[in-house]
Amino acid sequence: MGKYILLCIAILLPLLSGLLCYYIKKPAGRKIITGITAITMFCVAGEFTALLLKSGGKLVISMEGMPFDIGWLIKLFDIALMAYIAYIGVTLKKPLIVLLTLLQFIPFTIFEIIMVPVEPENAFVIDYLSLIMILLISVIGPIITIFATGYMKEHEHHLGLKASRQPRFFLILYVFLGAMNAMVMTDNLSWMYLFWEVTTLCSFLLISHDGNAQAVKNAVRALWINLLGGIAFLSAIIVIYQNIGTLSISEISSAPHAAGMSGLLPLGLALLCFAGFTKSAMFPFQSWLLGAMVAPTPVSALLHSSTMVKAGVYLIIRMAPAYNGTMLGNVVAVAGGFTFAVASAIAISQRNGKRVLAYSTISNLGLIICCTGLGTNAALGAAMLLMIFHAVSKALLFLCIGTIEQGIGSRDIEDMQGLMKKMPFTTVITVIGMVSMMLPPFGVLMTKWLAIEAAVGQPMVLVTIILGSAFTVAFWAKWIGIILTMSYKPKLYKEDLSFSVRSSLIVLVSGVLAASMGIMPIYNRFVKPQLALFNVDSSTALTGNQGGLWVHNSDNLIVGGFDSIVLFLVIFAIMTIIPYLLHRTRPEDVKPPYLCGENTEDRRGIEFTSPGDKIDNVVVHNYYMSGVFGEEKMTLWANFAAVAIILIMFGVII
Amino acid sequence: MGAIINNIGISAVAVIIAPLLGGLLSGLDRKITARMQNRMGPPVFQPFYDFFKLLGKEGITVNQTQMAYVIGHFLFMAASLIMLVLRQDMLMLIFIMAFSSVSLIMGAMSVRSPYSKIGAQREIIQIMAYEPVMLLMVVGVYLTTKSFMIESIIKHDTPLLYNLPMVFLSLLFVMTIKMRKSPFDFSASHHAHQELIKGLTTEFSGPQLAIIELTHWYELVLLFGLISLFFAKPFWVGILIAAASFFMEIVIDNISARMTWKWMLKAVWLLGIGAAMTNIIWLYLR
Repeated sequence: MGKYILLCIAILLPLLSGLLCYYIKKPAGRKIITGITAITMFCVAGEFTALLLKSGGKLVISMEGMPFDIGWLIKLFDIALMAYIAYIGVTLKKPLIVLLTLLQFIPFTIFEIIMVPVEPENAFVIDYLSLIMILLISVIGPIITIFATGYMKEHEHHLGLKASRQPRFFLILYVFLGAMNAMVMTDNLSWMYLFWEVTTLCSFLLISHDGNAQAVKNAVRALWINLLGGIAFLSAIIVIYQNIGTLSISEISSAPHAAGMSGLLPLGLALLCFAGFTKSAMFPFQSWLLGAMVAPTPVSALLHSSTMVKAGVYLIIRMAPAYNGTMLGNVVAVAGGFTFAVASAIAISQRNGKRVLAYSTISNLGLIICCTGLGTNAALGAAMLLMIFHAVSKALLFLCIGTIEQGIGSRDIEDMQGLMKKMPFTTVITVIGMVSMMLPPFGVLMTKWLAIEAAVGQPMVLVTIILGSAFTVAFWAKWIGIILTMSYKPKLYKEDLSFSVRSSLIVLVSGVLAASMGIMPIYNRFVKPQLALFNVDSSTALTGNQGGLWVHNSDNLIVGGFDSIVLFLVIFAIMTIIPYLLHRTRPEDVKPPYLCGENTEDRRGIEFTSPGDKIDNVVVHNYYMSGVFGEEKMTLWANFAAVAIILIMFGVII
Repeated sequence: MGAIINNIGISAVAVIIAPLLGGLLSGLDRKITARMQNRMGPPVFQPFYDFFKLLGKEGITVNQTQMAYVIGHFLFMAASLIMLVLRQDMLMLIFIMAFSSVSLIMGAMSVRSPYSKIGAQREIIQIMAYEPVMLLMVVGVYLTTKSFMIESIIKHDTPLLYNLPMVFLSLLFVMTIKMRKSPFDFSASHHAHQELIKGLTTEFSGPQLAIIELTHWYELVLLFGLISLFFAKPFWVGILIAAASFFMEIVIDNISARMTWKWMLKAVWLLGIGAAMTNIIWLYLR
């Protein structure tokens, strides 16, 4: 298949499916459309992989010889988008939104319409980093849409809507995916800006989807924070174009290699990093992502895994070769490390499952950005790997928590005690998802370990990563402990889940396991060639062999490494022991827990005889340590510190 | 191929010898502690007698899954010991060791028992306290030897202590937490006057408890193995220093009472992390 057709399908097919979902209002039709779209998108992603591997690392698609000028079409879309956002601002009576749009519109008109910059020769350039993103978007995205068909039915049933709003919901979902695909493929910074803003708008529409006051309020917050990033992005475009006279992303990212950092180029790069920070919800911009949880769960899954927040990370990684090894890179690393430590500390104090997941996303994004800022070969490798593993695991976890929420009617962690009895299928999958975020042979921990090995040269960054990883263990362990709590029960319930929910959970959990076990091929096939393209400092290099990853120093001696595949044997041993024990335990071997000898007849050990011979229930809660890690307490000073770091980021380059 | 067989051989020997050594250490601990408290104390081999007695007991459980976590606890600890004897990556070793503790925490939390749940919560706090210091130790080792592999520590010319005195001190500090000794024995204390119901391990009995005990022996050997790495040349000095540290831990255990977890977090983060970071910064600047 030609690369042009493939490109068109990747960007336009989601759009088409969205429109179909919008006009065919039947649920059955929607199911068929999501199914077909998913399969087509998987194929497109596979074709891209095949094409890229064949072409040797770079697919270049130029738009020369098109019957009309796409550049102007994009500008038209840009203006329509700004007009629509301004319209939203007016209808919601939010002057801030209108002002921020205006601040984009004026420079945009002057720069793009009156001055008319020279468009880069190649409209689309796809390398391995783009390919990784395409794979994440086109595999995880459609799975989430399939999950959504089952979930949204239930969701609207709970809300008691008269007319279904699902057609609109799926339209936006698909536009989002199309825009993401376009964003990671384009080589034109001003086109990227359009797709960037489309994702901003889509996330606003999705967060406000339920239409209640809380949803609208949080959506507006997401909108203005991301518009701030949009302004930074636009300013970066103008500054960079004035300085080096091109809008080609690949030329910009390699510009300092050719000419050295000079003039206003560092400012442009810092502005791009700032834009990335807003989109990736780094401190102090984290509040929009936390607020985004009011949206239906598929939205959270999409925002947190393969789209939106990964767009910011993608931009920062994309520009990494440009600021690699500079002071700007160091400050970016500090900012990322800071977010990693603080977000995971706050996660300890959270009882709301979705908030824990949100903070965990923020902290992982921080770690990715931190590694990118460190900028050595090994660190960039860790950043890209973490991007992959985090996307898969987080998508799974959000779908799980959505399922749990519909099952037990709560997202409070404490209400999940004994989940194993009520929802065994979901619980097992959730636990695998959680464990994949912290356990040694799984990908996320492998990258954490790589991050520490890569950060040894920078004590400031190092201490944040180390504290962050200790906090990470704490909040996951508390949560896993709760959901695995169970008293003896000879038989487990059978869950009633729709096919779409069940199948998407199964596909994603297999993805999590496969990705972690395949860390070596993933690294060798996709990440390593990209590192070669980046052409950064390679005093420490990563290699993947023997089923694990190894770090080499400049003398090519192994200085660290781990055969992760071996440890999977231990994991699988434990995974098989559990069901065996479930079957083998005889009822007469089971005794209730110790309650100071005040147990009642209750065999589960929940009831006890309290003073005055009353029968009471045992209630045990997790420690949340809000006195130490409380959200209000930490957010305030963390935001101040984060603002300071961003000011320092701009300070060091001027 | 020969290398693989050799590695399997070394691992097998370590897996067999370590618990013997660890059990003996544990017996010595009880004996010395008893003498410090003016008691006769049990025979040195008492831990082994206890172990076999526990193994022979009826397999009672509170729910079906407890045993799986206990086995996880054991397997991860054995895996990290094997990583030590095969001289693998030290950072990964620390991660795997931490996961062994997490596995036990899962086991304690899996039952609806107030005592073991509170013990588990406290153990999580203990992990939060000692994990950063352990990781900083590894970083210190890297800055000295320019490698994360234990292999290169053993090949390094000067003893690590020469470059890492403060890191070593903070390691001794967190050892107290790791071994659940007073003043940091919140999650489960072995002092009868401090805790009658044994926190974290309240709901484990019989064979399960035996495996937990066995894992603890592995852990002891692993920890003192790490300490002796600081003096890898000559080897016997390392062993002697490890023995001295062991004795010191027992003394501290017997002269102090249990503190609160907030106090511990403050103390470890200020003193432990502070000392280790100081050391690391000067290594970095040098």
